[in-house]
Amino acid sequence: MILRNVAIRHGRRALAAPLRRSFLRTLTTDTLTHDTSAIDSSLQNQLKETHSIEANINALHLTQSFVPPTSASEPTDAVKDAYAHKQHIKKRTLTLGSIVEEEYVPDSLVTNPPRPEDVTLELLLASQSHLGHSTSLWNPANQRYIFGIRQGVHIISLEETAAHLRRAAKVVEGVAYHGGLILFVGTRAGQAPAVVKAATMAKGCHLFEKWIPGSITNGDQILARCGIKVVDKDDVDITYGFEEKVAEWKALKPDLVVCLNPLENYVLLHECGLNNIPTVGIVDTDADPTWVTYPIPANDDSLRCIQVIAGVLGRAGQEGQRKRLEAAKTGEVTWLPPPGLGKPETEQDRQKAANRVKKVVAKVEEEDAQVKSRRGRLLPSREDDEL
Amino acid sequence: MRGRNLKPSRVYQTASRLLESNSITQPPVWFKTIGSIPPGEILTRMQPAQHRDVKINSRIRKPSKMFKPQPIEYEEDRLRREFYSDHPWELARPRIILEDDGRDGQKCDWSRIQQLGRPLSGESVVQRQLWLIENKGNSKSEAYDIARKEFYALRYQEEVERRVAKEEALWTGAYFGLDNLEIGMKLEDKVYEDWKEWGVKEVEALDRNRDAAYSSMPGGEEDAEPEEEAAEEEAAVVA
Repeated sequence: MILRNVAIRHGRRALAAPLRRSFLRTLTTDTLTHDTSAIDSSLQNQLKETHSIEANINALHLTQSFVPPTSASEPTDAVKDAYAHKQHIKKRTLTLGSIVEEEYVPDSLVTNPPRPEDVTLELLLASQSHLGHSTSLWNPANQRYIFGIRQGVHIISLEETAAHLRRAAKVVEGVAYHGGLILFVGTRAGQAPAVVKAATMAKGCHLFEKWIPGSITNGDQILARCGIKVVDKDDVDITYGFEEKVAEWKALKPDLVVCLNPLENYVLLHECGLNNIPTVGIVDTDADPTWVTYPIPANDDSLRCIQVIAGVLGRAGQEGQRKRLEAAKTGEVTWLPPPGLGKPETEQDRQKAANRVKKVVAKVEEEDAQVKSRRGRLLPSREDDEL
Repeated sequence: MRGRNLKPSRVYQTASRLLESNSITQPPVWFKTIGSIPPGEILTRMQPAQHRDVKINSRIRKPSKMFKPQPIEYEEDRLRREFYSDHPWELARPRIILEDDGRDGQKCDWSRIQQLGRPLSGESVVQRQLWLIENKGNSKSEAYDIARKEFYALRYQEEVERRVAKEEALWTGAYFGLDNLEIGMKLEDKVYEDWKEWGVKEVEALDRNRDAAYSSMPGGEEDAEPEEEAAEEEAAVVA
C-alpha cells in the first residue's frame, strides 16, 4: 500500500476525530456554569440563614445589654512616648557622624552648564572631547585639528577645540544680541536634554528628532501650521495690529543653526547653505568641516562632550539675550524689524481703509449705473437697425 | 555630498554681494556679528605636532608622510606595559574612569603610593615608579621593585581588612547568603521548571491520545461521519 493513499484515506478522518469527552470537559466552560449556579444557590442559602439569625437576635433585644470592651483598646501613652523618644534621639544624634556629600551628579552639565569663560582644557579633556575616530575613518580635511594618534585613534587638539568653541560662542552671543533666531539641533539618542536646555537658555528653537527635509526650503508647506508671534523690543507679545500680516507671514527661517551631529544632518546643513544661513557644527575626525560655517573640532559621540558644547553655546546665547534686553531697557534696539512688517494697524487705519473701500465701491456702482443708462439709451436704436 | 561646497564658509561674502546688488533690502541679523568674527581657516594642512625626535633620513620624514599625525607616546607607556604584562589580572579590577573637572591628576602626590580619593591600582605603581625615577634617581628596575613591593603590601593589607570586616560582620549577625532578588529569581525559576515538567507530561498525554485516535478501529456513532467524508473524498479522487 502506498503511504500517500493512507494519508488520503485515513488522514482526514484521524485529524477530524473528535476529542474525547474528558478533554472537552477540561477545555470548555460548560461545567463551570453548573458550579457557579451551585455556588450562587449556596450563597443565597447562607444569606437567608444569616438574615434569619439577625431577625432572631433583633427579636431578642440582646443589643441593649451588649457592652463593648473599652478597656482593651484604650490608647496608652506608650506609643506617644516612644515616638517622642525617637525624635529626641534623632535630634541629639543628627550632627554626629560623617556628612555624605553628593560627589557626582550625572546631569550637572545639563542643569548647570559652564559658561564660555569657564571652558578649560581640563574640562574638555575630562568630557572626552579629544577622542576622535579610528585612524582608518579619518577625513584628511581636518588634519589641522588633530594632535596625534593614540592606540589607533586620532586625538583632537584640545587647544583647537577650545579656540573654536569660544569663537562659536561669540557668534551665538552676537546673533542673540541682534535678535536672531537660533536653532539647536542634536538628533542622536541622549542629546535631547542638552539641546533643549541650550535652546531654552538662548531663547531659540530646538530639534532632537528627525529634521524634516525641506523645512527651510519648503517651509511654507511643512511649517504651515506653526504659530508666529510679533514681539516688541522688550520681548513682550504684540497681540493687536498684526493679525492679518501674521496670518499671511511666510514660515520663519533660523538665523543661526547649531548642529551637534552634522554627519546625520547633511540635508539640514545643505538647506542652510542654499538659504545662506550660517551654521555651527561639531566636527569629529570623520566629518567634513566644509559642511558648516563654524566647525568645532570635538568628539560628537560623547554625550558629556555634547553637553559641554551645547551648554557653552546655550550660555552664550543667554548672555546675548540678556545684553539685548538690557539695551532695550535703555531704549536701544539692536535689531531691525523684518522687511514688510511695518507698523501695527490701529483702529484709525482700519476705519480709513474701510472708508477707502466704501468710496471705491460707491464709485464703481456709480460707473455701473452710468454704463447701464447709456446702454439703455443705445439699445432701442440697435433694435431699430435690426428691424 | 560629493566634492567640496564652500558655500557655508562664505555666507558673509554671499550676503554682502546680495546687499550690493539690492537683492535683499536689509542685511541679515547675523551680518555684523559674522563680519566681525569671520570663520577660521579650513582645509589647510599644517605641520603636525611632533611627539618624538626623528632622524633626518628616517621614513617618517618622507614628504608624503609630512602632514600625517604622529603617534603620541609618553614615558609611562613602557612602564605601564611592563606592569600589566606582569600583573594581567590587575586589568580585571573595576575602575572609575569618570572625571568631574579633569583636575584629578593634579591632586596626586606620588612621593607616596597611596592617594586621597583614588583607589590603589596598577596606575599607582606606574606613577610612583616614574616619580622615583625622576626625583630619587633610581634606575627603572629599582624603582619598579620599590613601587611594586609597596603595592603588594597595600594589597595584602586590603585583603586582611576585608577578611576581618567580614568576620566581624558575621559575628554581629550579618547574612551574606542570597538576597531578596536572588531568592525571588530562584522561586520563579522553580515555577518555570515545574511548568516545564507539567507541560511535557501534557504533551505526552496529547500525543498518546492522538496515537490512540489513529490506531483505534472505526466504529460507534462518533466515527460515522468521518467515514462518509472519506468515502466522498475517494469518489472525488476517482472522478
